[in-house]
Amino acid sequence: MRILPYVLACALTLGTVSLPAYAATPAAVPGSQAIVSKTLPNGLQIIVWPDHDIPNANFYTFYKVGSRNEYPGITGLAHFFEHMMFNGTSRRKPGEFDRIMEAAGGSNNASTSNDRTVYTDWFPSSALDTIFDLEADRIAHLSFDDKVIESERGVVYSERRSSVDNQPFGSLMEQMQATAFTAHPYQFPTIGYPSDIERWTKADLQQFFKTYYAPNNAVLVIAGDVQPEQVFALADKYLSPIPRQPTPREITTIEPEQHGERRLVLERPDAQTATVAFAYHSGTNEGGKDTPALALMSTILAQGVSSRLHQRLVEQEQAAVDAGTFVDNGYNPGLLWVYAALPPGGDPAKVEALLDDELAKLVRDGVTPAEMEKARNLKLSAFWRGMATINGKAQALGDYQTFYGDYRKVFDAPAAYAAVSAADIQALAKKILRKSNRTVGWVQPVAATATPTQASKEATP
Amino acid sequence: MSRLFRLFAVIVLTSMAVSAQAAPPASVRLPDYTSTTLANGATVLLMPRHDVPMIAASIMVRGGALADTAGKEGTASLLADLLEKGAGDRNALQFAQTVDGAGGSLGVASSRDAIVANAQFLAKDSGLMLTLLGDALLRPRLDPAEFDKLKQRAIDGIASAKDGDARMLIRNYMNTWLFQQHPYARPAEGDQTSLATIRLDDLKHFRSQQMGGDRLIIAIVGDFDPAVVGKQVEATFGGWAKASGSLPQVSTAPMQTGRRVLLVDKPGATQTYFALANIGTRHGDPAEAAQNVVQTVFGGRFTSMINTALRIKSGLSYGASSMLERPRTAGAAAILSYTKTDSTQAAIDLAITTLDQLHKEPLPADAIGSAKQYIAGQFAPSLETAPQLAAELARMTLYGDTREQVDGYLGRVVAATPEQVNAARAVFPTSANLAIVAIGDAANIRKLMQAYGPVTEMKLSDPRYSP
Repeated sequence: MRILPYVLACALTLGTVSLPAYAATPAAVPGSQAIVSKTLPNGLQIIVWPDHDIPNANFYTFYKVGSRNEYPGITGLAHFFEHMMFNGTSRRKPGEFDRIMEAAGGSNNASTSNDRTVYTDWFPSSALDTIFDLEADRIAHLSFDDKVIESERGVVYSERRSSVDNQPFGSLMEQMQATAFTAHPYQFPTIGYPSDIERWTKADLQQFFKTYYAPNNAVLVIAGDVQPEQVFALADKYLSPIPRQPTPREITTIEPEQHGERRLVLERPDAQTATVAFAYHSGTNEGGKDTPALALMSTILAQGVSSRLHQRLVEQEQAAVDAGTFVDNGYNPGLLWVYAALPPGGDPAKVEALLDDELAKLVRDGVTPAEMEKARNLKLSAFWRGMATINGKAQALGDYQTFYGDYRKVFDAPAAYAAVSAADIQALAKKILRKSNRTVGWVQPVAATATPTQASKEATP
Repeated sequence: MSRLFRLFAVIVLTSMAVSAQAAPPASVRLPDYTSTTLANGATVLLMPRHDVPMIAASIMVRGGALADTAGKEGTASLLADLLEKGAGDRNALQFAQTVDGAGGSLGVASSRDAIVANAQFLAKDSGLMLTLLGDALLRPRLDPAEFDKLKQRAIDGIASAKDGDARMLIRNYMNTWLFQQHPYARPAEGDQTSLATIRLDDLKHFRSQQMGGDRLIIAIVGDFDPAVVGKQVEATFGGWAKASGSLPQVSTAPMQTGRRVLLVDKPGATQTYFALANIGTRHGDPAEAAQNVVQTVFGGRFTSMINTALRIKSGLSYGASSMLERPRTAGAAAILSYTKTDSTQAAIDLAITTLDQLHKEPLPADAIGSAKQYIAGQFAPSLETAPQLAAELARMTLYGDTREQVDGYLGRVVAATPEQVNAARAVFPTSANLAIVAIGDAANIRKLMQAYGPVTEMKLSDPRYSP
């Protein structure tokens, strides 16, 4: 495809001069003209990107449900449900789903976040029919075996121990999220609180399935060595018979504006090193108008060795071994995280002051043209890296369809970054990087005491 | 899109036409590439691919962490880090600004066998990428102030990592405990004690002994003109003199006979992480394909024997797996898992029972068939991107392999007979001979660990990975 160099030239020009005329020019990714989309009568939207580079394909199902749809008593249920989707149907015993898929050469995984539950199969294209059969079966005929539910509680609790309980930073994030949000369900940890993991019921699961696992609440993306007509024929056969469900109740709670800094300290006898983190209300949902500016701001602060936080905290002051940022937005405005990991004996107060100073500088002085160009180039590289695999393509289409409302917008991403000005970033920094808009959390190592260990207090799942 | 792999699209269609039983591809071939040798001995591999406007490089300098002086483990690793901290006419900050400013990535690290520089840039910056790589490898500034910072950060970084995910940490402890006096015991990035002894002169000495044009493997894959890039590569690296030292030689590590246990105390931990290991197999083992079928059935996928036992059927763990590591001489064969403190014994017992079952009962034909399909179905995505292909070309050259190693792999998997597969079970140890590591709350598991063999105990916060 020889259009590439031309497209690249346009995109790179955007990196240096921000001209509105370019903003309407979508990136021309080779093969993207072959993308086809269709919505079944039951409301399931299907997007297919045929790409025959390797003899493989994937099958991504994005359900618009996550821990955002939970409430006290069932925190973690969306994630637990993700596990149960692999545990048997009225036609297939627990374990058959994976056994059949692997025997056809496929593998799978799934993930749950605040907003979505995403199921993925990666397989040789020869297995496409088998994958449709398996996926349709678990949406149409999922069953809940009491024994399996109990066993799976143990699996999920083990996952929680590794990602939260035995990792100080994981515990800190859980506490900070619960502090930053007082009304919105983003306060709940996706993995769930231990007492909920132990107590939710089969009835909770059944209700959850009926409410959210409906074709009209999902988007299916397939990228790889397939033909769209072949995919649509299989979808008609396997997925069309699954009935539409009433639209799930909307999440309407809006987090009230924060007035005043919130602080917490997590004391850990098992930690050798301290951590300092800030969580600012980002003020924008994923796909909202400030999303590109927020992403560029985060990049300038923390991506790469030349980034501001790394240079100041790690290189110049040597006060941290690592410093970074990340944005966690969804259907509703989420958090901009800023953190630093300290060396043994490091002083959290000093690190907090350094982070404050860097963020204040951004608000006061804005960003340089060189930083703008760097951030856009980093985003452009990331865009092309995503377009280099069938997996990246399917993810991008699904993300843009579910969060931005249209998969085609993925191709506007480089232009959207180009349209952001330095002034936009400074204005955004002023808006959100305020102490009264944040939660501050520290992990502080403390000496072990002779009190009973956490293990002995833990209930048996 | 490229015509890559069209060959097997044809194979698949043909097989579908003649048989109702659809099957994954029978072969995955590397795309075409050229291999040349420069006058100084450097190997240059070029593979143009035009799917996205990016270019990737994987450069290896043979030698690596195995050439570290005993007691100064981490020398090659620190040197690799320092190469990026100022080179040519750029100081450390300018170097980073140039890489990031172009939207590129460039990282240098040391593995056991080589110092490895990986980079990926937008295609229009191919010249810049080669200049930066050339500067880092041939003209590093080796600035004393940057060295001091890096060294301290490496030491602090290990302490910080020990507060992180024990699923990652346990491999370091497993290697030191299993390999003991053998060089494979040494952590490539060093430990807090060894790093503290390293001086800048050690890095300079290492560089003159172990880095040079004759040690170079340069693999470049992506959207470029091979005529232009080939010339740039020669101009950049062709003048690098040879290394003055000799390559490290490694004998085969002795097998562990009997059992011994290392208990790493993490006070307050609510979960125990464990590894059961012995010496397994090496790169180039003729039984590789059959061993990989065994690995897939035993612990290499979700429905594997070990994950079925510890996760699917019992709910004892979120995950359990086995691994086969294949360095130049025999590496580790291991089972890895974790479970809540209270069920430590139940989980380790079940892992051992499952290992016994592997050796006692031949693998069923349907399990072997399924594993072969699985390997075939999952292989192509491992060679999909330019960085993956560049790394593979460099790795093949490092080990002296030809493209047949990749092109013929799925054929060898298909051809492995049930007898060969069952014989290959021996790559995993018997349960009587195991080096065992557990990271957990010693106060709660110290006594029960004694059931598995003589216990040596250390603290997670100790500045080494070995007692």
